[in-house]
Amino acid sequence: MNWNAFLEFTRGQLFNVALLFFIGGMVYRLVRVILLGWKRDRVPPAGSKLGGVVKTYLKGFLIWPFVPWVKRTFSRNQVMYLAGGLFHLGLFATILLGTPHMLVWKSLLGFGWPTLPLPIVDWLAAVAIAAMITLLINRRVNPVLKLISGPAEFFNWLFVFLPMVTGYIMTHHLWFPYEVLFSLHMLSVDVLLIWIPMSRISHFIFYFFSRTIHGTEFGKRAVNP
Amino acid sequence: MSTQTALNTFVKETGGWVASQLEACTRCGLCAEACHFYQATGVPEYAPVWKVDLLRRTYQQRFTLSGKFKLALGIDKPVSDQDLLDWSKYVYEACTVCNKCSMVCPMGIDLGTLIHDVRAGMAAADLVPADLKAAVELQLKEGSPLGVTDDVFDDRLEWVGDDWEVDMPLDKKGAETLVVFSSIEIMKFPQNLAAIAEILNAAGENWTLSSKAREVVNFGYYEGSRENTVIFLRRILDHAVELGVKRVVVTECGHAYDALRWTAYNITDVPKDLEITHITHLLAEYVSSGRIKLKEGSLNGGTITFHDACKIQRKGGHIQEPRQVLKVLAPDSFKEMTPNKEEAICCGGGGGVIAIKEADPNRYAAFELKIEQLENVGAKTVVMACSNCRLQFTDCVQHFDLDVKVAGLAQLVADALIE
Repeated sequence: MNWNAFLEFTRGQLFNVALLFFIGGMVYRLVRVILLGWKRDRVPPAGSKLGGVVKTYLKGFLIWPFVPWVKRTFSRNQVMYLAGGLFHLGLFATILLGTPHMLVWKSLLGFGWPTLPLPIVDWLAAVAIAAMITLLINRRVNPVLKLISGPAEFFNWLFVFLPMVTGYIMTHHLWFPYEVLFSLHMLSVDVLLIWIPMSRISHFIFYFFSRTIHGTEFGKRAVNP
Repeated sequence: MSTQTALNTFVKETGGWVASQLEACTRCGLCAEACHFYQATGVPEYAPVWKVDLLRRTYQQRFTLSGKFKLALGIDKPVSDQDLLDWSKYVYEACTVCNKCSMVCPMGIDLGTLIHDVRAGMAAADLVPADLKAAVELQLKEGSPLGVTDDVFDDRLEWVGDDWEVDMPLDKKGAETLVVFSSIEIMKFPQNLAAIAEILNAAGENWTLSSKAREVVNFGYYEGSRENTVIFLRRILDHAVELGVKRVVVTECGHAYDALRWTAYNITDVPKDLEITHITHLLAEYVSSGRIKLKEGSLNGGTITFHDACKIQRKGGHIQEPRQVLKVLAPDSFKEMTPNKEEAICCGGGGGVIAIKEADPNRYAAFELKIEQLENVGAKTVVMACSNCRLQFTDCVQHFDLDVKVAGLAQLVADALIE
């Protein structure tokens, strides 16, 4: 097999197709949900809806999405909060602030930004990978998670895990020739891009809907979200 | 029973508001940690995410490509009759719709409302637990789930008026404020009627009761039937208009307040200039404006704490008012339970749960969390502003043989009035 040609394919044609599928798929899902219709809320508010929305984003998004604001919830599920939070931190640090990834963004968007030094990104990626393994074990052990997890949940895990672990091995030049690892990394990214619109990983978009609704509902009632 | 009717109701309830939230769920399961029924029993099916799963399955199989695809391939099964029977237990017997789960959800999904939508499907398919159904039918037929007929209402008012020597205006034309009691207060806590009447009179409020809009309880809202909810709401709204009042005051009843204050506007016509508020709001307003005078510190002594009702505090917004009042009555001995206010743990009896016999084990199990809270703060008295909570507390204090006094906020205020 000619790995260089395969690499060209996975980072060229296949990547473009996957990216288009990702964008098209997400736009389709977004539009479909929006077109289901929105009833006007006629309830006279007791507090500020906008205030509630601002507060809930400040609490839940800008600072640290996984901080358990509600007392005693943290102690009941530390693994989930810590692993979930660290996974997202590592993920976003790597794909936004890792130099090679920033260069991909630059080629797509036309502009770049400062990045973190490699050792820091590398550590964060390792933490994210460890967190993912912890989350998988937790999903197999926790009674509620066992109940609500089907094949889709494990595919979600696998399709996110593969790009992360191939990327990590590639950065460290371990075991396989570079072009092999790079090809596999790109292939797994392509698969992930195609998978996202068909899965719950799309929550990165719908998060903004549910958060806004949460803030509106609590703000309307003059209750802290 | 008709599964299809339930599914059609789910589909009808599904607009962008519901769909976007179902899409946002990552299936992380963290909501389970907020549910007092899951915490108390450890039954995984009681996790809020699982309670809304019927709604999610119906939505995906009807509206989404991946859902249709999975259904065609047999990966996902259509909702069956047995599913509906199972979920009827989860959403009625193990959920008070207290909405604490929405506070823990990393996505902020408004799970309480979605569970209410699942109940709507159950009600359409005639799968409401027998006890709850019987109560709904009584309310439709007699006007009250607890047997408050015209005659009983008149008798109760006369008796309360005589016994506590308090003036209780009925159908008074020209009154500004219509007060609507819950059937629990009328039948089980009649002293509350006297207490509220005394306070309103002391404040010089121009108020009345109505012989037609005589109780605020809404069992249609418990069961999740929009049709019945509207019937019961209209009894109050229409007679409020008839009397020409400016505002309706809901007394110590949580679910009814949620229905009238936060739901009615979206499912029926509410007159624009009609204000709907809760008695707790009036109490605090009277105290802070000096319209009533209370013996300050009259409740100092043993530790006194406040139980936040899910529908009056977390979903109703009246969080500071009861505290303002209690800080006057018991500045030294008032202590907060942990967690409290919008994060409070529900009593376990709301949402119709206390009306369902089969739910008793769940209800008692959930209350053990409350006992732990009470013990941690060393409470001698626990105060609340919801008669449904109060019914649950009164029953559980007896059931568990606890040395705690259960009191309604209005009652304490009336006791401390300076004439």
